[in-house]
Amino acid sequence: MSKMDEVVDYKKTKKRLDGRKMDELRPLSIKVGVIPNADGSAYLEWGQNKVYAAVYGPREALPKHTQNPYKAVVKVNYRMTTFSVPERKRPGPNRRDHEISKVLGEALDRAIFTENFPNTEIGVFVEVADSNAGSRVACLVAASCALADAGIPMRGLVSAVGVGKAFNEIVLDLNKDEEDAPDAVDTPLAIIPNSGEIVLLQMDGLLTRKEWDDVAKMGIKGCMQVYEVQKKALADRFQFEELSKASVEKAVLGNEVSKKEIVGKEVSASKQVKVVSKEKKEDKSKKVRK
Amino acid sequence: MSKKVVIPGELISAERKKLGSNVFVADGKIYSKVLGVIDDTDEQASVVALEGKYSPRADDVVIGVVTRVVFAGYGISLNSAADSFIPSKAVRDQLRIGDVIMAKVDRVNELKEADLAYPRRLIGGEVIEIVPVRSPRLIGKNGSMLELLRKGTGSELVVGKNGRVWARNGNIDLLKKIVAFIEANAYKSNLTNALQDYFGITISEKVAEKSAESESLPRQDGTSEQEESEVINYSNEGEFK
Amino acid sequence: MRDTILEHDISRITDLAKQGKRADGRALDEMREFSVVKDKFENAEGSAIVRLGKTEVVAGIKMEVGKPYPDSQDEGAISVGAELVPIAHPDYESGPPSPIEIEVARVVDRGIRESKSIDFKKLCIKEGEAVWVSYFDFYAINSDGNLFDAGSIAALVCFMNSRIPKINVDNKIIKHEYEGKIELKRLPVLTTFVKVGGRILLDPTYVEEKAAEARYSVATTEDGFISAMQKGVGGSFTLDEVNYMIDLGFKTGNEVRKKLQKV
Repeated sequence: MSKMDEVVDYKKTKKRLDGRKMDELRPLSIKVGVIPNADGSAYLEWGQNKVYAAVYGPREALPKHTQNPYKAVVKVNYRMTTFSVPERKRPGPNRRDHEISKVLGEALDRAIFTENFPNTEIGVFVEVADSNAGSRVACLVAASCALADAGIPMRGLVSAVGVGKAFNEIVLDLNKDEEDAPDAVDTPLAIIPNSGEIVLLQMDGLLTRKEWDDVAKMGIKGCMQVYEVQKKALADRFQFEELSKASVEKAVLGNEVSKKEIVGKEVSASKQVKVVSKEKKEDKSKKVRK
Repeated sequence: MSKKVVIPGELISAERKKLGSNVFVADGKIYSKVLGVIDDTDEQASVVALEGKYSPRADDVVIGVVTRVVFAGYGISLNSAADSFIPSKAVRDQLRIGDVIMAKVDRVNELKEADLAYPRRLIGGEVIEIVPVRSPRLIGKNGSMLELLRKGTGSELVVGKNGRVWARNGNIDLLKKIVAFIEANAYKSNLTNALQDYFGITISEKVAEKSAESESLPRQDGTSEQEESEVINYSNEGEFK
Repeated sequence: MRDTILEHDISRITDLAKQGKRADGRALDEMREFSVVKDKFENAEGSAIVRLGKTEVVAGIKMEVGKPYPDSQDEGAISVGAELVPIAHPDYESGPPSPIEIEVARVVDRGIRESKSIDFKKLCIKEGEAVWVSYFDFYAINSDGNLFDAGSIAALVCFMNSRIPKINVDNKIIKHEYEGKIELKRLPVLTTFVKVGGRILLDPTYVEEKAAEARYSVATTEDGFISAMQKGVGGSFTLDEVNYMIDLGFKTGNEVRKKLQKV
């Protein structure tokens, strides 16, 4: 029943294994400001990928010897949970995690005005909870939103996408089946949309020069689609309705009601405490096991 | 200008203008550096940031918390990228970890570290934290919002530009809710009017100027009425809650 | 080592506790609201997102075929791991497992394992050769204290809902095919307390944990058993205090189980 047994040819079928068009992204949704402790954060779902991103900084760079007197140091920590992949991933970072942390950090470094914060670090932490091809670009997209959410000044967001070739066609946003195709080429690509600068580019596989032109064109277009989703996720949290006396009353009253509830609970709960301590004095000699 | 949220790298103006805050120039055009609201006039392009830590500027009044005590002085947290340091000599009495102080930013060095002047301990009261970049809204033009909050809640108030509010006495519970409201709605229009309506008080921006200066800043000679009457006596713990 | 909690927050929490109050308005013996989302992560055999107040953890189970231990040739096994990843709090650092991470994992493990709630014989594939090993790992996403109880709830949800993969004749897992579920005979619920300002607080927040003189966790079951205990941090408890916490553990355990039945 394996799909790999048939010889799949996208040029013939004109549709991909999951029904998408060649230049169609998997469903992508982003929620910003989801981790209260972080200075900035985002949760992202892209196809089956589910990633969390948090930004802490700019803050004191520790250990001290990592400080740079001219700019902020961008430290990216890319990690995957043990259950985010089909075969359990052993706990702790492996070489792939370190490599991805490095290239993500370099991509973001270009976008951030790091010279504004000498001697500090900007910690960017991403955790992949579920994956299916493209987790590194998913993390980059989420991290970029988290940085904006943290108020970090940037030249622009970083928008990223996976693009390449599978089953005899140039395709956007490869899924795992496509990554496993015999002729698969995977090119994670990231740009700063307003300037078009490429900040991340990796490639695995064989492409002709002409194929590369098509891949690049499709990839950049794909990044711009991702950019629109990022923009909306960041801006949508701010509504511009006009305020009135009623808005203030609502806000003040809202809290007062819940405070009353809490006080009420406190009273009855402390009654319970008294009851319990009464019981426990009597039961001192009894064992709990039945 | 109708309000619009912009994200980092978004175009603000294609024309040449004076550069305000949080913007940068590329290819002769002006772009936003941060997630914020455009404040674009004919003469100047500026963005008011919606999120972010405190960026120290000379003459800012700030509220710091003592985080470290060493022989040479005190480490002070300011909600910014770097902590500040006050030499022991600069403070009359000894400070302890957890003490809350107000001070004025004197200079900011190239590493964004702030030198603090006129440090003064704030006794009792509570500290309320908000997103630092939204602090100006709590102060208002010429301190008008600050004045409104004082009159409306009856609290003694100091608002630091670094996202901290110190309050003592008065209706602190109401103050907390109002501060939370201002923080959440800082970028929306009609905020001042809505609050003036709520409290039933109107503050003229000119009047506010005088009271803001005298209450939120230390006197020029580094002392104040309050300071003279404080005898910081750590042997008597009960008094300083 | 970062420590962003300000001393005056800790002293405020202690003062409140001495007066029988808490910063978030809860009673001393009141647990925060919690919510659970299960089976969100598709690569896991069972998964859960648990929110306890502002604390959020993600958890999942991966099943692997392994060799049985020499002294239990016909029994499967479980393994519990925890990571306090830097995403969750400005004070957390990346690096090798810290003592607190190890303690959290082991306490949650103890609660499940010692309660004999999993029938390990059912996890046997071929005696002496192949058994199922159930790896449960949970990660802090936002830490506002009590990763113990959040992790314990996540473990219950995961183990209650985890599917067992189908295997072929060579004991290799067949992808995307499942047969049966891990079943729990009992639902042990972990309840954690801290002592602050001499008072006992149930379900501590991050600052309450920082202010704690001592910590105590107890796992209780619906049929009246205590299946695990752990005292942590320095300080001490009187026997009366421990008994109070055990009683409250049973009561809270029942409330948690009631809510979990609806998940």
